Amino acid sequence: MRTKIATVVAVVGFAILGGAASVSAHHAFAAEFDASKPVSFKGTITKMEWVNPHTWMHVDVKKPDGTVENWAVEAGTPNVLFRRGFTKESLLPGTEVVVDGYQAKDGSHRANGRDLTFPDGRKLFLGSSGTGAPYELSPESKK
Amino acid sequence: MRRRISGSMITVAIAAAALGAIVSMSITRTSAQAPAAPAARPARVGGKPNFSGIWEANNEANWDLQAHAALPAAVTQPGVYPFDYARVPAAPVLALGAAGAVPGSLGVVQGDGQIPYKPEALLMKKDNAEHWIDRDPELKCYLPGIPRAMYMPYPFQITQGTNKIHMAYEFSNTARTIHLDKVAGPPDDTWMGHSVGHWDGDTLVVDVTNFNDRSWFDRAGNFHSDALHLTERFTLMSPDIIRYEVTIEDPKVFTQPWRIAMPLYRRVEPNMQLLEFRCNEFVEEFMYGGVRKQQLVKHWEGETMAVDITRKVPSGDKFYEWYGGKQ
Amino acid sequence: MPDRFSRSMITLAIAATAAGAIISVSITRTSAQTQTASATAHTASAKSSATATALKTPWGEPDLQGIWTDESDTPLQRSPKYANQEFFTEAQRTELDKERAALLGRDRRVERGTELDVAGAYNAQFMSVKHTGARTSLIVDPPNGRIPPLTPEAQKISAAEREFRLALLQATQTCKNKSVGCAGGKYDPTPSPRFAEPPPRYNTARMNRRDNPEDGALPDRCLTGGLPEFGGATGSFRRIVQTPGGIAMFYDVGQGQGWQRNIVMNGSPHLPANIRQWYGDSRGHWEGNTLVIDVTNFSPKTDYQGSRENLHLLERWTRTGPNTLEYVVTVEDPTVWTRPWTVKQEFTKQSDDENRIYYEPRCIEGNYASPGLMHGQRMAEAAFAKGQGPDPRISDNATDFVGVEDDPLQ
Repeated sequence: MRTKIATVVAVVGFAILGGAASVSAHHAFAAEFDASKPVSFKGTITKMEWVNPHTWMHVDVKKPDGTVENWAVEAGTPNVLFRRGFTKESLLPGTEVVVDGYQAKDGSHRANGRDLTFPDGRKLFLGSSGTGAPYELSPESKK
Repeated sequence: MRRRISGSMITVAIAAAALGAIVSMSITRTSAQAPAAPAARPARVGGKPNFSGIWEANNEANWDLQAHAALPAAVTQPGVYPFDYARVPAAPVLALGAAGAVPGSLGVVQGDGQIPYKPEALLMKKDNAEHWIDRDPELKCYLPGIPRAMYMPYPFQITQGTNKIHMAYEFSNTARTIHLDKVAGPPDDTWMGHSVGHWDGDTLVVDVTNFNDRSWFDRAGNFHSDALHLTERFTLMSPDIIRYEVTIEDPKVFTQPWRIAMPLYRRVEPNMQLLEFRCNEFVEEFMYGGVRKQQLVKHWEGETMAVDITRKVPSGDKFYEWYGGKQ
Repeated sequence: MPDRFSRSMITLAIAATAAGAIISVSITRTSAQTQTASATAHTASAKSSATATALKTPWGEPDLQGIWTDESDTPLQRSPKYANQEFFTEAQRTELDKERAALLGRDRRVERGTELDVAGAYNAQFMSVKHTGARTSLIVDPPNGRIPPLTPEAQKISAAEREFRLALLQATQTCKNKSVGCAGGKYDPTPSPRFAEPPPRYNTARMNRRDNPEDGALPDRCLTGGLPEFGGATGSFRRIVQTPGGIAMFYDVGQGQGWQRNIVMNGSPHLPANIRQWYGDSRGHWEGNTLVIDVTNFSPKTDYQGSRENLHLLERWTRTGPNTLEYVVTVEDPTVWTRPWTVKQEFTKQSDDENRIYYEPRCIEGNYASPGLMHGQRMAEAAFAKGQGPDPRISDNATDFVGVEDDPLQ
């Protein structure tokens, strides 16, 4: 089986905390999005909805024939981002993003944002514009 | 087999939330233990009047901020006459009879009692009122925003510290913290706003900003934009009554600021406490019944009336918009 | 558009918690380690009464006010190989941090176009990984740091729930491939007739069916948040505000699950037995410098590790220093566990000024996914009925992350 190595950092399976009731168990994406309908497009953000349980990015996508489609892209919870210093100003309408994901099973213009990057390949939501959360682990962090 | 799911959406507000005022809480204490609360609450905290305790508005503001005579229901249709004052309840609330009627109110809007809408905003308000069932965020158990949380017919609890005043509202885990000290603003717009308070003598003055445009003021479709800015004033008229006034500004919707005012009454029952009102579970049938595999709520048979419900599911891309609450 | 992102931290999502189950971390060590009596870094034991007395409200009660969170990661249960070792050594902590941080740099995506890739969901920055904590487990009693054995009754219920869920998976690839998600189950190409049955109890966890909103796990329905609350990868914060004779706590946990606790402090008895609540009924009183809260009256719709309406918590909140608060809770349910068990956790005060709590933890107003999940299933069922798609019941919409990543530390 071919494993795609993307330039983005992927999900690692690791659980350490207690309290199953409070665990952020996001829903089963495979029930909402279709593995046989991968999508990949570049678009311009028109609106950000920083909501729970999932952030939604609204993106205008210009198709090859010149028409414009509006897509809603589902991403993760905004909580951690906000605590790292993100605000609604951090990702404004007009920003170009690349979405690599899967389309909704009902065929509507919704997708999950499996990989969200800027056009130059840098991962979206990387880093923070503010104070960050000092107690978080990072590859460079020392105890 | 053709799919039965068609293009738009009708839901019927049978949810108890529509009744609001008839929910009564009667908590009896059979224990021999005496309540200790009143003695523990000093009249002042940190040199300031103590607003702590459980309070509730006792008016009809949640139906409609403005003065109005009683109405057959919040959603009506023409009756046998062409007059506005002779309409009849519409189907969604018909089965509730008088429990679905709107009580009359002297109104809480100060001055001339009018809400100074811009002309296009007034059309929006009327549109909202007609689409109450589909659009009122209260029916979806969404956050009521401020000031609506203050005058919904459910109790709320004020916990007054020295640098923070916390308000917990029984409805839907609604809460807000009033910051008396300096804090950074919220990272995004909010339903409940960002509340910053200071004292003006014995009056608590609260400045509320950073609203989104999602909440309503009442069930009559009165609404605001994300430019909403409130100035609230809390003053104790007596140990058990707060005078609550709000100056409401929103240059995108109103031509000038306007004010509402009302008393808030302490819930003086012994051992009063907030109970849960986690209504999002209750409204799942209301909101999502149309996407069940088998329709669940279909038919009700009374002695003089039968009610049949047809569910509709919005198509494709409209599906997401409907649940977003802004159409 | 100018670059708005500075090169601060690279943090990645650790998301196996999504399945709602607790996966204990098992760290392979190559060197022998000696047990230490206590970790030097552990500060919660500092019970200097002088400090505690100074931290009072203006009206003389212990001051618990502020925004509190656990700033480190500690597993609920102790890995058996640590036996009765209560604290990590410094060396162990450093090594664990190194190993966990090394994981953060990994870069794995599975084959595109597979359900497993869809299940990976989204980029991994949406969760928070903290430094390894001082303790080897949050559980401090029983001495082995693990949840006590289940009662026979609880084991039966647990088995019935498991069987039901496995039945709904029996026709999926997960079971055909004998994947971890099907452990204890079997493969059968025909979907189980149990798809037409309600689950053994009120459903709270993931299952491979989406006929109704009630088939969703509680997080899917924005119905999580509850007690006891020990933390999670998206954060766990509690804001405490006090007034003479009263105390309010507001929690921000999970994915926007905000909820209020109104602690009744007037000495009155618990609510009558017929009133059951998601967050129980909290009755508090002061014992010296400690706030003791007794919680009962839980609803049968809640579930904590199998415990439902008979859950009983006894909490002890003690301000131990200018920036620390010790939280101890004894968890008991004689219908589920053969004995009570106790957790000890240390919270650190967060800066109010920076607004560390996500300002408005709310979930339902943005829960477009819940109807989306059902709508997707209805479309798949309609396609199947027209002969244009596979039977949705052979697709596994319950298990995720299992198989997407192998935990390298297990």
